[in-house]
Amino acid sequence: MAADPHFGLERHDPEGFGLTAAVESAPPDEPSLPVGEWLRKNLFSSPFNTVLTVVFTVVALAGLRGLLNFVFSEERNWDAVRVNLRLLFTQAYPEDQYIRVWVSVGIVVALAGLSLGLWARLSGVPVARLAMWLMTAGGLIALGVVLREPSAMSGPDGGPLLDAAGEVIRQSFGAAMADRIWWWLAAAVLFGAGAGLWRGFEDERRRHTYVPTIPLVFGSLGLAVAALWLYRWGHFAFTGGEFVYEPGRTVATSTKLPWTVMWLLLMAGWAAGRLGRGRPAESRLKVLVNLTWLLSPFILFWVVLRDPAIDWGHVWSTDLPMAVGFAVGGGAVLYGLTRPGIGEAGRVIAVGLLAFAGFNWVAAFAGWYPMLQKARFGFLLLALAALLAPNFTGERAQRLRLVWGWAGVTVVFHYLVTMANTASTLNTPTSEFLGGFSVTLFVAVFTLIFSFPMGVLLALGRTSKLPIFRVLSTAYIEAMRGIPLITVLFFFANMLNLFLPQNMELGSVAAVTVGFSLFAAAYLAENVRGGLQAVGRSQYEASDAVGLTTVQRTVFIVLPQGLRVSIPPLVGQVIATFKETSLLAVIGIFDFLFLANRAIPSQSEFLGVKREGLLFVSVVYWIFAFSMSKYSQRLERRLGVGER
Amino acid sequence: MSDSSSPTLAATQSQRPPFYRDAVVVKWLTQVAALLLVLGALFFLTTRAGQELEAKNISTGYGFLDVDPGIALSEGIDIDPDTGGRALWVGMVNTIRLAIAGIMAATALGVIVGVGRLSGNWIVSKLSSLFIEMVRNVPLLVQIFLIFAVIAALPRATEDQGPIPGWLHLSNKGLSVPRVFPGDGFYQWLVFLGIGAVAGRYAARRRRRVQDLTGREAYPVLWFLAVTAAFGLAGWWLHPVFGWLGPVLAAVGDAVGAVPPTAVRVALSLGALAAAGWWIKRFVDSHRTPAGLAKLTDDDYFRMIFAGTGGLLVVVVVFAVWPGLGSWVVNSGRDLFEVLSDKFGDGRTGPPIDGKRPDIQKLGNFPNYGPAGLNFTQGMAAVYFGVVLYTAAFIAEIVRGGILAVPRGQTEAAQAVGLRRTTMLRRVVLPQAFRIILPPLGNQYLNLTKNTSLAIAVGYSDLAQVGQTLFSQTGKSIEIFSIWMLFYLACSLSISAVVNFFNVRLRLVER
Repeated sequence: MAADPHFGLERHDPEGFGLTAAVESAPPDEPSLPVGEWLRKNLFSSPFNTVLTVVFTVVALAGLRGLLNFVFSEERNWDAVRVNLRLLFTQAYPEDQYIRVWVSVGIVVALAGLSLGLWARLSGVPVARLAMWLMTAGGLIALGVVLREPSAMSGPDGGPLLDAAGEVIRQSFGAAMADRIWWWLAAAVLFGAGAGLWRGFEDERRRHTYVPTIPLVFGSLGLAVAALWLYRWGHFAFTGGEFVYEPGRTVATSTKLPWTVMWLLLMAGWAAGRLGRGRPAESRLKVLVNLTWLLSPFILFWVVLRDPAIDWGHVWSTDLPMAVGFAVGGGAVLYGLTRPGIGEAGRVIAVGLLAFAGFNWVAAFAGWYPMLQKARFGFLLLALAALLAPNFTGERAQRLRLVWGWAGVTVVFHYLVTMANTASTLNTPTSEFLGGFSVTLFVAVFTLIFSFPMGVLLALGRTSKLPIFRVLSTAYIEAMRGIPLITVLFFFANMLNLFLPQNMELGSVAAVTVGFSLFAAAYLAENVRGGLQAVGRSQYEASDAVGLTTVQRTVFIVLPQGLRVSIPPLVGQVIATFKETSLLAVIGIFDFLFLANRAIPSQSEFLGVKREGLLFVSVVYWIFAFSMSKYSQRLERRLGVGER
Repeated sequence: MSDSSSPTLAATQSQRPPFYRDAVVVKWLTQVAALLLVLGALFFLTTRAGQELEAKNISTGYGFLDVDPGIALSEGIDIDPDTGGRALWVGMVNTIRLAIAGIMAATALGVIVGVGRLSGNWIVSKLSSLFIEMVRNVPLLVQIFLIFAVIAALPRATEDQGPIPGWLHLSNKGLSVPRVFPGDGFYQWLVFLGIGAVAGRYAARRRRRVQDLTGREAYPVLWFLAVTAAFGLAGWWLHPVFGWLGPVLAAVGDAVGAVPPTAVRVALSLGALAAAGWWIKRFVDSHRTPAGLAKLTDDDYFRMIFAGTGGLLVVVVVFAVWPGLGSWVVNSGRDLFEVLSDKFGDGRTGPPIDGKRPDIQKLGNFPNYGPAGLNFTQGMAAVYFGVVLYTAAFIAEIVRGGILAVPRGQTEAAQAVGLRRTTMLRRVVLPQAFRIILPPLGNQYLNLTKNTSLAIAVGYSDLAQVGQTLFSQTGKSIEIFSIWMLFYLACSLSISAVVNFFNVRLRLVER
């Protein structure tokens, strides 16, 4: 590398876009070949290879042609997707409350920008690769223009013109090519830009000059947003039996302003994150952002989107005092219990608390005295924390950290229970106020949030030396992994309410989320277990040697190292969970897939129009899953998990 | 801590901590408490469910398995089952059929794509990557729905329509191809094949010995195949020779049927107790060192207690919980032999394997595929192709990873000793790659089997779909869920067993 004369300025990174990562992940440094030599080496190296090349080129071209003819055919009714975009994403969310959806998206986008600014060390894209992308895109468009069959002549009624035998009459080839002048132009611009870039740099510099990713991504997003303003994309509505251009209420007109704001929010968040980087408060800011990410699904779902009818009288008289009482009282108890040298007394108090908490449940079962369910849970949580407290004794600062953590958990818990018990005031035609892609997203997110702690506990149980814990966790994990998800979801959707205490009902989405979480936890546990087993024996021996307790060893030594190793498989699990949410359609929940497969084809205007919607759904799923899997590959390389 | 005030080492050791600080006691108390908690929660939940079901007037129990369910299935060995159990059995057969066919096709396609991705040919490798990235990142259910919708949009079935009339028909009814199936003398022929395999194995061993002694290639595998094939070929016409097995098997069946059920129960209990005792003895023996019995930990005691309890539990089940088990075993054994004896003798002289081409029957005005060919109905085709493509993408990645994981030094060494490219692949690279590929491959087979349950979404009568239909008829959700669970667990276990068998055989013998 030192011999590389161009190493230096190009790799210098004044903007801090993290080119070091690019250096690590860069492919082996080989000069690019001239076109002829490249062809000979990669396509025609032997007679057999030549045959393969010819055969598969024909296959690829035929496939592309078939796809294009399908997508651009006159028979396709893409209006089924265009008109139903809002339905597909948020189902029947009330029109007058739609600002809530935009606020939610805005919060997520701003957080994403902030995180990018704070954390991202994105590699740039080498000019050579960028030029290749542009040229490939231009070439593919040109190829598609030539390959696609000529479009049908339009008849007097607007439909395709038919001949006597009922066959569609198509344009002549020349006329079709001439009609596609705009496509030709696009292809020429893209290819020209790529070729210009390629020509503009000599080979060494081409491969070692990096175009930073962030401006590239933000720029492309900006172009997409600008397209909403410039092009009449989706300016259609279905009114009175026909499609009309409607300036007032259509998809694009109602989204161009919000999406512009979103784009600006993304930029602003990113700028704020960049400003925060390197400041003394950076680590605190990062903790704050992480906490906000963790809490945002709860706040967005229960407050922003739901418009809860909060009963303030009850909040002031019961909810708030109880939350404060648990936070302050429990914090004081924990602070006392972590006093160094408290000895046996601490354990006695903790066991007493546990007995009391358990007795509350027995009393509830027998009906001796009334108590709010959340108080019972609160006491149980406090007792468990008290049992663990002796492992966290130490200086004042550390003890206070535990107290603060407890207070935070308590407040969040009480907030959640209060919110879950508050009815929504949204006026929606369906029982669930979300539908379509939003419900897909929320089920996936909540499943991950709930299954993560459960999966870690199960993994710890399965690797534990204590036989009963091990047998119980192993049995649970293997049983769950042995049966198909759809049967579990089916069971929970139909049966969960039978098992719940009286006066407690869960809607179908909530029930399915519970089942999904229980299922995902088993898979997650196996991923975490792989990480835990990668923690070396010496780590255990060393922590025993310095006299850590089992809890301390697990929390401070084993879990941090084990979880780090299992990050890439965990991202894989995230992708799997996201894809598996599509099974909600089978249970009859109005998720993204259900709307495309059932709801749209049963609309009277789009009877039986199914393939268009399904294709759109697959593209959306693909974009999400593909970007996540690319991210996980990058993460794996950066963590270098395989190499250690 | 000063020397004068601290107790001596011996004194510290002799002091036992109070019982609530004893690590063993605390450990076991926690565990038993956790177990009680889990059992208590289960008890609470089932009590609640019992009350609720009673309130809704839904009876529990497996009686519905013997009652006419009043449902018709879309396809299978019996589309009009007369009991609920029979309906579920049809569903299981459909699931197994789909899973086995799917596993074979997915493996073939996955290996081709995986190797293609490593090809030096640019376009082959790019197309393989494209296939993998396309299929892997779209949910399976979406793909199944897409295939279903595409089939639905195909033209209607007529006699002369299809890419190759009489051989391959493609229409909105699905897909129909010629079918190969076990013919008249199939089982008699199987006996021939079995004998051939034994003889082939013997021949292969001899050839291997020759090869080891002389150092010259003696083609043991080829010999094995040739001998087996020779027996198979002879058996094609000679198989009626084994017709006499029919009456013999029937006699065995009668003998099994005459066994008193109590004897079976006693034998089962004794077997379970003996197995538990043998396990404990082996466990104790493995802790015996030349110096005497090693100290057993709590964990060890727990294991032994667990094994003993397991044995006792079987006895309790056999005698108290499920008294009918003995006669069930006797009856099933007798039925099994009866079914087998039916396959032999009685003028079974036809060819062991038969084939039929698809034909289209006119049923009224509505053309339909006849029963002759192998029909992929719309639902089955959607699930089958969906599952095969999806799993193949994952298998391709596994195959690619496995081949890449073979150290470069191995190929270099093979080249250095002058092996040809094919020999190197066959003898050096693939055996090592296979060892890496096998465990995740087994996982994919499990996933495929479980994913066939998505048939529920397109109306193919697999176990999940039949179960769902039965549930809507009878409302027995817990019972049907338990049957699902048992069946899919059994499938998982059998696939794991097969994979493990090969895994153990392939394992490197480490020094």
